[in-house]
Amino acid sequence: MNLGASLFDGKSKGRAVFLRRNGPIIMVYAFILLLVIIGITQSERFFTERNLTNVARQSAFLGIVALGQMLVILTAGIDLSVGSLVKVSILVSAIVMNGESGNVLPAIIATLGLGVLVGLIHGFLINELRIAPFIVTLASLVILRGVGLTISSSPVGKASREVMMFYVQKIGPVPVIAWMFFVLIVLTMLLLRYTVFGKYLYAVGGNIEVARLSGVPIKAVRYGVYVLCSLTAAVTGLLWLSRMGVGDPAIGDGIELQTITAVIIGGTSLFGGRASVLGTLGGVLLLGITANLLVMLGVNQFIQGLIQGLIIVAAVALYKQEGD
Amino acid sequence: MTKAVSGAPRRFGCRFSLGMSEYILEMRNISKSFAGVQALKEVSIRCKPGLVYGLVGENGAGKSTLMKILAGAYRADAGEIIYKGAIRDQASTAEIIDSGISIIYQELALVRQMSVAENIFLGREPRKRLGVLDLKLLHERSSALLERLGIELDLHLPVSELTIAQQQLVEIAKALSQNADLIVMDEPSAILAGSELDQLFRIIESLKSQGVTVIYISHRLEEVFRIADEVTVLKDGELVATRPIGELDRATLVEFMVGRPLDEVFPQTEHEQGELVLVAEDVSTDTILAGVSLELYAGEILGIAGMVGSGRTELARALFGADPLTGGSVQLVARGKTKWGSPAQAISAGLALVPEDRKAHGLFTALSVRINVTIPILPSLTRLGVLKRAAEDEIVREAQARLSIVMSSSDQETQFLSGGNQQKVVLAKWLETDPNVIILDEPTRGVDVGAKFEIYKLMRQLNDRGIAIVMISSELPEIIGMSDRILVMNDGRIAGELAREEAGEARIIELATMGGSEAGQS
Repeated sequence: MNLGASLFDGKSKGRAVFLRRNGPIIMVYAFILLLVIIGITQSERFFTERNLTNVARQSAFLGIVALGQMLVILTAGIDLSVGSLVKVSILVSAIVMNGESGNVLPAIIATLGLGVLVGLIHGFLINELRIAPFIVTLASLVILRGVGLTISSSPVGKASREVMMFYVQKIGPVPVIAWMFFVLIVLTMLLLRYTVFGKYLYAVGGNIEVARLSGVPIKAVRYGVYVLCSLTAAVTGLLWLSRMGVGDPAIGDGIELQTITAVIIGGTSLFGGRASVLGTLGGVLLLGITANLLVMLGVNQFIQGLIQGLIIVAAVALYKQEGD
Repeated sequence: MTKAVSGAPRRFGCRFSLGMSEYILEMRNISKSFAGVQALKEVSIRCKPGLVYGLVGENGAGKSTLMKILAGAYRADAGEIIYKGAIRDQASTAEIIDSGISIIYQELALVRQMSVAENIFLGREPRKRLGVLDLKLLHERSSALLERLGIELDLHLPVSELTIAQQQLVEIAKALSQNADLIVMDEPSAILAGSELDQLFRIIESLKSQGVTVIYISHRLEEVFRIADEVTVLKDGELVATRPIGELDRATLVEFMVGRPLDEVFPQTEHEQGELVLVAEDVSTDTILAGVSLELYAGEILGIAGMVGSGRTELARALFGADPLTGGSVQLVARGKTKWGSPAQAISAGLALVPEDRKAHGLFTALSVRINVTIPILPSLTRLGVLKRAAEDEIVREAQARLSIVMSSSDQETQFLSGGNQQKVVLAKWLETDPNVIILDEPTRGVDVGAKFEIYKLMRQLNDRGIAIVMISSELPEIIGMSDRILVMNDGRIAGELAREEAGEARIIELATMGGSEAGQS
């Protein structure tokens, strides 16, 4: 009966488990490295401070929402509304701010408040009316996009000067926006590892019935995670305002699919209970660098979509093999 | 003959023919390891046509691994499988089924929304021209199969409407429809009770007489003695013995399995009835419960017997607040008659539920042992909102030592633990909440003899600490051996209460099976 001690000599087993769990993520980063090498050798403009700064900022834009998306997917949910929410957020913040420094704080509060509200509505529909997250957030994708385009179909409002400056600010060689992303990455890791809420996310995604029978407050967990995800979208809306300077209603479309893509490439299971922050970062960087490189190399933008699709299939195929 | 011959035909995964032998199946020197753990070490078995082979062993002994290799779900690291006189190469599941091997797992593989007939012929539906489904032929063939098995089932009923026992019969019919020559049944009795078991045995006898070989995996030795012609015992991935049933007695078999004699199956302690702990009055739900009342006293084991589907599991869930009550109440006396409407409230009131279906309701199978054990008490393991990892690890270490859980580390996913160890993890989780009432629904299902005894001992220890236990079980010896009082359920009601002294198997079965009109409140 006791298979225990003798068979589990630590090192080789530890290494095997490490590779089994992290092999695909290592592959993702190896692929990123490969892309960087291609970039350096094939394009003079790729490995310049200017371009790398751009890649970092763009990755942050996608990555912040991807972190929220990852938490939702960890609970076996999904949030399809984030793109539309980014759109409404940039419009609302631009209109409230209207170019006035004094309106910056009200604009931030209004936008974040909007995020909280949308998240609570998602939580309510999923918890109390027991509608599937896919349906709930699909509806709000359509509704929020409609709201955005009703507010305005052409650019409205204006960012204040400080907000526009925020986009170009750097600490050291790194843009402040990328630092923000970095801090959120660390916070998310800490959340998942060292907080009860983080563990509850795994529990709800792992098996919601077991979680309920173990006394996990599943409703509160789902309210919380959808609010957090919507907040990341609201924050990203604000960041887009600082980049665009105006409330541009063209912003936001497709972000939901890009974030889901990044999360999947990063090894998070769509069935819940499994997530990787570093994997999601890898997914975000892979998407960001691929897009950037294809532009640098002058590849037709329609082919970019094709290549992104292939990356998804390749990544998921990789995880399937590892999972067996 | 161990080397491959290239260029040989690969149909059904066979490399070349060795001519017929008297054995339908030989598995020779099969070895398999997972991530450094040797699950099987040079295990050999062989089976003749038309006999029933018992495969027994403790949890983690390698029974399931061996059968999964036979089913093609795993690939052996070494050894060979000779089936119908030919070496079988790695083959797909479909090829293996075609070759006449059917495996009926504990977790039944049926599509719940589809009908009985559709399930039996799933993937092999009779078709007319242009691929149109031939419903008439489908139902003819299905009813012929069920007739052959001597069972009556509505072919049009969706499987979700059937009892688990009936679902199992559908699986057997499915196996027969695939012209199986060899049927493996992985703990089929774990989900059956009383007459259903008799029916299963009748079916196995009839399969035997039709020349079908049956490999019967079970933890229940009585059944092995009743049905098997030959018994193979595995322990720690190694073959201990293969003996004709006539050469074995119960004590020898147990000793083979655990490596030591088990003198006392049900540990006894003397204790007096404690204070009233929990009162349930007229509990009804929209599932099946229709006015169940019971009282539970500190330090006792209240056994709940009854057929599958009599409402035992529903009672457990209702007591725990897992299903909403449509009538009546459940109150904990010690905490000032508090009521609860959710598991979370029940847990903080001092209740715990070890559910019947471990994988669906008891464990996060894809998550670590650590989170499985600490989940209900996580909020108490924080300082300023930050989880104390050291405290978590300490709790898991203590649980591991206390219940002798075999695991590679506290990070190990519970799906990779054997049944007994999984059950210990669930028990460990509830011991952490320091409950005063523990509801155990089939606590030893899918658990081997050795671990069973450990669980019984643990229950007695909990009694000694004044903890009241409600134990639901389909195994009458367990109910009679462990309970201080026994409630027998029948059709959502309590059909009678028996004191330990007056409880016999016959009396329990009588109460559990009598007609609806007699089954009033006692």
